[in-house]
Amino acid sequence: MRSPRRTARTQRCLAVISVVSVVSVAVVSERSHAARNGTIRGRVELRRVPQPTERRPNVNDLGSAGPRDVPDLLRSVVYLESAPRGAFDAPEGGRAVMDQRNETFVPHLLAITTGTTVDFPNSDKFYHNVFSLSKPKRFDLGRYAAGESKRVVFDRPGIIRVFCEIHSHMNAYILVFNHPYFAVSDDEGRYHLDNVPPGTYNVIAWHEGDSSEPRPVTVPDAGAADLDFSIR
Amino acid sequence: MTVWTRLLVGLAVLGCPVAARAQALPTGPIEFGDGRVTVSGDVSVGYGSNDTGAYFNYTDYDHSALRLFRIDLSAAAKANDHLSLLAEIRTENIDYLEPYALYARIRPWTSRPLDIDIGRIPPIFGGFARRSYPNDNPLIGYPLAYQYLTSLRPDSLPASADELLRRRGLGWLDRFSIGNQTPEHGVPLVSAFSYDTGLAVHAGSDKDGGISGGVAVTTGTVSNPRVTDDNSGRQWAGRVQVRPLFGLVIGSSASWGPWVTNGASQAAVGASNSSRFTQSAWGTDVEYSRDQYVLRAETILSAWRLPILSAPTLPASLWAFSTSLEGRYKIAPGLYAAARFDHLTFSEVTGSTVTLPWDAPVTRFEAGPGISLQRNLLLKLSYQHNARDGGPLIQHNNQGAFQLVYWF
Repeated sequence: MRSPRRTARTQRCLAVISVVSVVSVAVVSERSHAARNGTIRGRVELRRVPQPTERRPNVNDLGSAGPRDVPDLLRSVVYLESAPRGAFDAPEGGRAVMDQRNETFVPHLLAITTGTTVDFPNSDKFYHNVFSLSKPKRFDLGRYAAGESKRVVFDRPGIIRVFCEIHSHMNAYILVFNHPYFAVSDDEGRYHLDNVPPGTYNVIAWHEGDSSEPRPVTVPDAGAADLDFSIR
Repeated sequence: MTVWTRLLVGLAVLGCPVAARAQALPTGPIEFGDGRVTVSGDVSVGYGSNDTGAYFNYTDYDHSALRLFRIDLSAAAKANDHLSLLAEIRTENIDYLEPYALYARIRPWTSRPLDIDIGRIPPIFGGFARRSYPNDNPLIGYPLAYQYLTSLRPDSLPASADELLRRRGLGWLDRFSIGNQTPEHGVPLVSAFSYDTGLAVHAGSDKDGGISGGVAVTTGTVSNPRVTDDNSGRQWAGRVQVRPLFGLVIGSSASWGPWVTNGASQAAVGASNSSRFTQSAWGTDVEYSRDQYVLRAETILSAWRLPILSAPTLPASLWAFSTSLEGRYKIAPGLYAAARFDHLTFSEVTGSTVTLPWDAPVTRFEAGPGISLQRNLLLKLSYQHNARDGGPLIQHNNQGAFQLVYWF
């Protein structure tokens, strides 16, 4: 089950990025003006492996529901709590895809920058209805057929929970940052946060609504800093 | 504790600040046993203007559908890939806790979409039966065919056409001179609130297009689902559903089974063999959805055969025909508007002095918005107009209601 308190904390963290970070890291940024960027790398350990949301046992249904895919719940997002100056220059509106495939959003976790357009194709032979009631972006794409796609532009930073109105077990996360200093881990928790200007930063790991405490790390000139997390 | 005290307790449970409290509650099904047991629930609190004196919204559980505090808990326990147990317990206005569904689902071949349900099973008849939970119903009221109580009872029978015509519009509390003399409610065309007991076989998948359907043999009938049999035969019911286009679902249902109880049959014709006195029903339902709207239409024709006793005699069958049109349009994320038009009419019966429909025809219009306070917390508002053409009760009323629905 989600922890609303932690989710709210994470949302606050994301929301204040644009206000706090320019001030807090300005000195670091100036010092690193001529320096070469480095990497933060490490692993996010999940102390408790999350279980996918099961279908609701609707006893009214005639017959069993068929098999479905299981979402990938092992990935986390690692991001800088405070980003270097210049990070908030209007990012280019990129493009990303969140597919609806065999009653699962693929990927389950998407991290993007503000201005990114996300396509939501329907790859199933039946209807889905993607929607979100999250404050940073409320949308409802309605029902559309297999092979069709609808898109949403995410123009505000924050955490967006995505659901299907028809299949209540389908859910996903979209994390929208107004800077590019974030990375999604792989299935084993490994991450690489590249192209970070040298300096000292606070870094946070986020997973399924839970986030770690901010941890300081110093990125060397053209080097790599190791930082592991353990959450939940 | 009165109904209203219970409703206030219910409101307090969900109460203000509604969203804040609901955030601390589960947002999805609860799992046990390594995911083998899944429990979900629906809680709805409804409050509407007074229906007493008109009884348009009374259900076969003697509650107004507009003033209902209902808790449903559903559970599925998966023994293996071939066998699951499904159950639902429900309470309305905290009167009593009752298992509404309790059945085993057997899937003989895991790779083929064929299931056998045994026990107290969900109704196979009709389209609305699959979405009678408050969360699935865009409005607060129910379609007339599934809720409105006609004057017929399986255990209490009119001796003549005159007696039947005198009871027009009194289905909420009714009795006739043959059989059980205790006043009780009549039956709807199809009960949306009770499950029948028996065996059903379903084949096909709703998800892959094409045809799906099933047949069921049960102890009761669609208007009077039962746990134990009270007459001499079983009901047969079937449903076929096709999806010719993406978003278009067309369903057709039929049922037939003895309906009059052995006791009433014995009292009427002196024989306990009630197999001649049946309910037959036919239904057609269509749903089309696209983008932000869903449109539904459903018609049900029901025929009850009663013993023909003294003059003026009843016809061989008493017919009822219902039409329901429903639409929902999503105006914005978390906000929709819905409306439903219903009409229920009855075949004519000739008494000593008049020829009239055997029960008073009813027309209902209901409309209102639904507002998602959060994903699994929905506030519905509703305006409902009812009109009944005949009978001694109030013939027209306008009702307002709200309903708060929480589900996990």
